Parts: sequence; structure tokens; C-alpha cells
Amino acid sequence: MKASPWLYARKASQTLCLTGFLWLFLQTEYRGVDELPYPVSLLFRIDPLAALADFFAPGSFHWQLLWPSLLVLCLTVIFGRFFCGWVCPLGATLDGCGLLVGRGHRAFAPAWRRVKYLLLIGFSAAALTGVQLLGLFDPLAIFLRSLTLAFYPVYNLGLNEVFDWFYEHPVPLISPVVNQAYPLFRDNLMAFHQPIFSLGLFTLVVFLLILLLERVEHRFWCKNLCPLGALFGLCSRHALLQRTPDHLCADCQVCRAGCRSGAVRAEGHHRSECLLCMDCTGYCPEDRVSFNFKSLSRSGPGVDLQRRGIITSVAAGLLVGPVVKIGPESYRQNPYLIRPPGAVPETEFLQRCVRCGECMKVCIGRAVQPALLEAGPVGLWTPLVVPRIGYCEYNCTLCGQVCPTGAIRRLDLPQKKQVVIGIAVFDKDRCLPFAKGIECLVCEEHCPTGDKAIVFEEKGLLVDGELRRLKLPKVVDRLCIGCGICETKCPVEGVSAIRVINEGESRRERSGLVAGPYG
Amino acid sequence: MDRRSFIRKSLTGTLAASSLGALPILDLLALPALAAGAPPLAVRQGRDIPALVRETIAALNGMESFVLPGETVVIKPNIGWDRTADLAANTHPEVVRTLVELCLEAGARRVLLFDRTCNDARRCYTQSGIRAAIDSLGSDRVRLDYMDRRAYQSMVIRGGKAFERWEFYLPALEADRYINVPVAKHHSISRLTMAMKNTMGVIGGNRGRLHHDIAEALADINSVIHSTLTVVDATRILVANGPQGGRLKDVRTTETLIATPDIVAADAFAATLFGLQPDEISSVVAGARRGLGTMDLAQVRRV
Repeated sequence: MKASPWLYARKASQTLCLTGFLWLFLQTEYRGVDELPYPVSLLFRIDPLAALADFFAPGSFHWQLLWPSLLVLCLTVIFGRFFCGWVCPLGATLDGCGLLVGRGHRAFAPAWRRVKYLLLIGFSAAALTGVQLLGLFDPLAIFLRSLTLAFYPVYNLGLNEVFDWFYEHPVPLISPVVNQAYPLFRDNLMAFHQPIFSLGLFTLVVFLLILLLERVEHRFWCKNLCPLGALFGLCSRHALLQRTPDHLCADCQVCRAGCRSGAVRAEGHHRSECLLCMDCTGYCPEDRVSFNFKSLSRSGPGVDLQRRGIITSVAAGLLVGPVVKIGPESYRQNPYLIRPPGAVPETEFLQRCVRCGECMKVCIGRAVQPALLEAGPVGLWTPLVVPRIGYCEYNCTLCGQVCPTGAIRRLDLPQKKQVVIGIAVFDKDRCLPFAKGIECLVCEEHCPTGDKAIVFEEKGLLVDGELRRLKLPKVVDRLCIGCGICETKCPVEGVSAIRVINEGESRRERSGLVAGPYG
Repeated sequence: MDRRSFIRKSLTGTLAASSLGALPILDLLALPALAAGAPPLAVRQGRDIPALVRETIAALNGMESFVLPGETVVIKPNIGWDRTADLAANTHPEVVRTLVELCLEAGARRVLLFDRTCNDARRCYTQSGIRAAIDSLGSDRVRLDYMDRRAYQSMVIRGGKAFERWEFYLPALEADRYINVPVAKHHSISRLTMAMKNTMGVIGGNRGRLHHDIAEALADINSVIHSTLTVVDATRILVANGPQGGRLKDVRTTETLIATPDIVAADAFAATLFGLQPDEISSVVAGARRGLGTMDLAQVRRV
């Protein structure tokens, strides 16, 4: 293949974007300032699928957050699917890792290209019925979530192993240097606390499956399955940036096999399928290929969606809502379903959340964990607060700052301190003073509210037949916000003696009682 | 400096110091902190915190009587909570900064500061104001570090009543001098939390378990970690809702600083600021009984 300046430009752009997004990812962490200084969730603010999810969700569209994604759509109308070839970090990863896993060259029937459109249509129809599945297939969400839940924890573990080894086995000359470098790494390039996620392995497997599709066909995901690619495809059918020649040349036909997206076919050049990888500007033996702006009137071959396919996917999508809703409400079924502070009501939350994992990455206390089935059948990868793993830091508002779709509203600190995400409840069969007659203050001591939500009552308690005066902890319902630090820090091993349940959460609609459900 | 050379140097340093101590002439200069008899206790009041710290330490013959040139000093403030300085949950940053300055002036080679926090360490270090106070010194001899999870070591507690062994933080054990700088606070179980309790910031393990027998547990850990000097920050004290606080109405301005090489005397005196007698604080009683210091304030030498 001859070197084409366009090819270098594309590769440079991919590298730059990938590096940029990785850098933003590293900045998605508390580094001493309460307000994150960078727009760390930029990746989703330029994501039209996130905008689509937001559009279908109840409430007004978040222009302020999501206007960049509309800009990307406008650019797509002009340039075609530049995002897929030049920007998308998943695409760049697949291009890069394809070399490692090996690249298949099986030519799939063009009908496979339809699948992504049908998925997009089906998901949109489902979104109309109140079930949002776009996030599960959003390539940007897949990328960031795999990074957050799997790759970053592995990277941290690995680096820590290296640092620890040199710390424990002093090697002359090397160990001092490595030990010196450790704080620098810890404070800039690594997580402060080793990230721990319950779905790490599962997320990794999903990512590897997508990667392995490269063995079947180069960019299989992008060509056949990616709903974001489909959305871009729909917008770029009449793209102004067009390829010359717009047909296969009679004398050559190299493009037929060479085009990675299979966009150059007998009937013409499919702008909806072309990823603008610019490979053909390099491999054309006659140097005939160029991309130029041309008039609007010349439309290329269309998306070959068949009526039957559309009807099937719309119908299937419309059925998703009712089918999913035959189960009980998830917060009733699972009283431990706790959402980060600022989360909108559950139904709307599931429609807004694109499962990107930004809140899980940024959470300072490792409290936010991905759900498997805890939040119902369509709650996969949505954020849960799991207090036994980590608690919600009282003075922190980071998750609301990074959420790109307003599923977790941005709260200022005084507001956040008022938001109730649940309430702590004692298990008196396990709590030391109640169960064993041993005084303990850990929950009371850590309770962060100014007026403490855990207080002591001194009472006489019969312990092994003997009356003892003991300080017994008690939760003050109207003061508890459910941050869960009591559950995290409870010194009782195994199940905590105090647990947060989702009773009384602020986001749930309630009657107009001023004093709460029980006065 | 890596840990290896640090240990090697501290060992040679100790060896050199002990051999020097064998010379009779140097006995005259022996540290007052180690002098037998009634421990000195300095209590001063004042609004200007840096001046207050300097005046109080001067009353104990200055930092030079505790820190020798070239030594490594650990200053252990309370940075346990994600609270601002005015809420009296953490040691006041100006107290900490002035003590660091005094150590540097006394010729300390390194001053290390750390605490095992209850909230996120990064938040506590910043919110307490201690990060900014230390940064403002701009000295490369001073380091405010997060606890290194690798640097804990399990130690046998000889004569331990609550525990036979526990994990301790090596840099605290290895330092030449350990200066304990708590803030005086109310505490819902041990009534007050002061110097002996502040030592919990340099131990590992599940600290919640210590509360079951808090008095003996504190005596146990303080028999391993010896505080060269204790400076109790009572510029403002938390009189209720401790140890974390969070309400200004629980904070009382007392503008007092207590300094003494005797950790038990420090706590005993600090208790009186809360209107309590030393024998009402179980950890003070346990500490005195275990020979960690004097709880009888009539037995201390007020300087």
C-alpha cells in the first residue's frame, strides 16, 4: 500500500482521540479539588446515542450537556461517518488490537449491514415504551465501561504488584528509583484506591467477545452491529464529502475486496457504510481515488432496509416495554437498590442512564458499583451504591458532575447533603451493644451529618442475666441520608450490623406529609 | 531516600547517639524529656496561634531539647475527618505548621507528617487545611504523605492487656522523634479523645475493634509508640458531638495549647478544659497504671 497523507492523518487522529479520551479518563478522579477541572465525560457529551436516550426520556432535553452530540451529527451530515474512522475510541481499539488477535477476511453477505439499523430502530421503539437499551450497545459506553470496570483495575493491580515487589525486595539502584517514582504514579497515573468492581470479569468478557469478532471480519462490530454507526449511517447517506470514483472501476475492482467497510460495491459507493478510513486513497493502483465535496443532489445508493425488517424490529421494540414491566418494581423487590445521590426517579433513571460507568470511575469511596440484576432485568451496568464495599462521601458531589445525561443530577454541596438515598437500619441480632452487651461507637462516630443521624440512648440491658447500663445506638430517621458510611465501617465482620435500605429516598414520589411516613 | 537506606541510616544514627550518650559530659545536655522526676507541663493561652505555639514550646526549653540536628521527626496531627479547621475535628493547620517550622529550626533533617484518616485521605488532607499549610512552607525536608499501605508491620505488644499484637506503621516506629499533636475533642465512648487516642492514627488493622476495651487498647498501642513530645491543640475544642463534629455550636474557643513530654499528663490536663477530672477518663487512668505517664496533675512541674 502506498503512503497516502490522508491515511496518516486518519491514524494520527485516531491515536490523538484515543489518547485524549484516556487522559480524560485518568482525570476522572478526585485530585484535591471539589469541582473536576476538565469535562471528563466529553466522550458521552459528543455521543448522539446518549442524546437519543435523553430525548426519549421524560423531562426536557439536556441541551447544556448534550449540544456537542448534535454538532457531531451535523458534521456527519457534511462529512459522513468520520466519527467511526477518525474519532471513535472503540473503533481505534479494534483497529489497533486487530493486529494482535488476528484479522478475519470472511466476506459477510451485505444483508448483515442491516442488523445495526434494525437494532437502532428496535431500541428506539423500546425507548418509546420506556425501556432504554441503547447504552448496552453504545460503543462509547462499551469502551468506557470496559476501561473502568476491567482494564483500569487490572492495570492498577499490575502496576502495584511491580511497585510492591521492588518495595519488598530491595534491588540495589533499581528499587530506590522505583520507590521514588511510586507517589508520582499514584497521584497522577493510578487510582488512589485500587478499584474493585463486582462485574469486572463479566464486562471484560463482553469486551473480548467484541474484540474477537475482528477474527471473523475486520470491524465486524462497526459494520454490522453498532447502533451508533447506524445512526451516523442514516445521517450520512447524503453526505457532501464524496468519493471519486463513486463506482467500482470496470478495469480494476481492487476496492471490492480491499474496502474494510465493504462500502464500495457494484451499485456504487455507500456513504452510509464508508468509515472514511482512507485506505483506498493509498491502495488504488491507478491513484484514482479522492474525496471531494460535491453537490447535495447526487445521492448515493441508499440503506437497503427491507420493510419486513423494519416492521419486525419496531414491533419487537414496542413489545420490550410491556414484557419488561411484568415483573415487580425493582425497588420493592430489592430494598437494597440504592442509587447515587441526585439520581432521578427510578423509571426515568433507567431511561436516562447510558451505563457509561463514569460515575463508577469517579466515585471517591468506591461506593458506586454496576448492577447485574439488582435493578431489574434492564438495569444491567446501572450504578448502585453498595455500602459494604464503599460509602458515599458526605462532602463529595463528583458523580453528578460526570453524568452525561442527567440521570444523576448535578447537585451543589448544600443540596447534596439534603438528598436522602436511603436510610440505615440496625440489625439488633448482630449489633454489638444489643447482641453482645459490648459498647461500640463506630457508626455513631462516622455518621457525617452535622446533627448526628445516629445517636446513643443509655439504657439498662439484660446481658447474660445481668443488668448493664449501655449506650445503645439509634438512627434518627429524619436526619439519616443513607450515605452508608456506618455500613462500610461497621466492625462486625460479614454482614454489617447496620444496613442501608432505600426507604424514604428523596427521588421517590411520596404523599405530601411533612414529617415523613411515620411522623 | 529509599526505605533501606533510611533504616540503615537510622540504625547508625541510633548507634552513634547511644555511644555519644555514654560520654559523661554529654549527660549534662541530656534531653529534659527523659529526665526523671516530675514531668514538665507547659500551658499557654493566646489568640495568635504561631506565637502561642512558639511560646509554649519555649517554656519547655525549646524544640532543641526534643529534636537534635539531623534527626527524622514524625509529627502526627489529627487529620481524621473531612472537616474544615473551624469545626475542631482536626488539629489546627497553623499549630501543625508552626511545629514543623520549629523542628526545621532545630535542625531536623526530615519532618514527616501522616495520619490514617477516617474519611478519604485526600479529602481530609485538603479540607483540614493541613495540606495547604505544609505546602506553604515550601521545604523539601518536610513531607505530608498518605499512609503507605505496604508499610505496616505486625508487632508484639509486650504486656498488652487488650491485644497481644497489632499492626503499626513503620515510619512512625522508625523515626528518631515522634511528636503527637492531637486536637482535644469530645468522644462518645471514651468521653474525650486526645493524645493517647491520636496514636490510633499510626496503627493498621480493623480499628473499630479497639473500641470494645478502648482504655486498655489505647494503653497497649501507646506502650509501643512512644511520644517524645505531646502538644495538645486546644485553640478550640469540640465539647459535644465528637469526634467528628460538624456543628459550630459544639466548638468552644479556648485559645490554649498544652505541651509536655508526658502523654498521660497531657491528656489529664486537657480533660480539665472540659470540666472533667483526669480520673474520669478511663484511658488516662489505664495509661497511668501502665506507667506511660503521670495522671496526678499535682505531680507535674508546671513550666
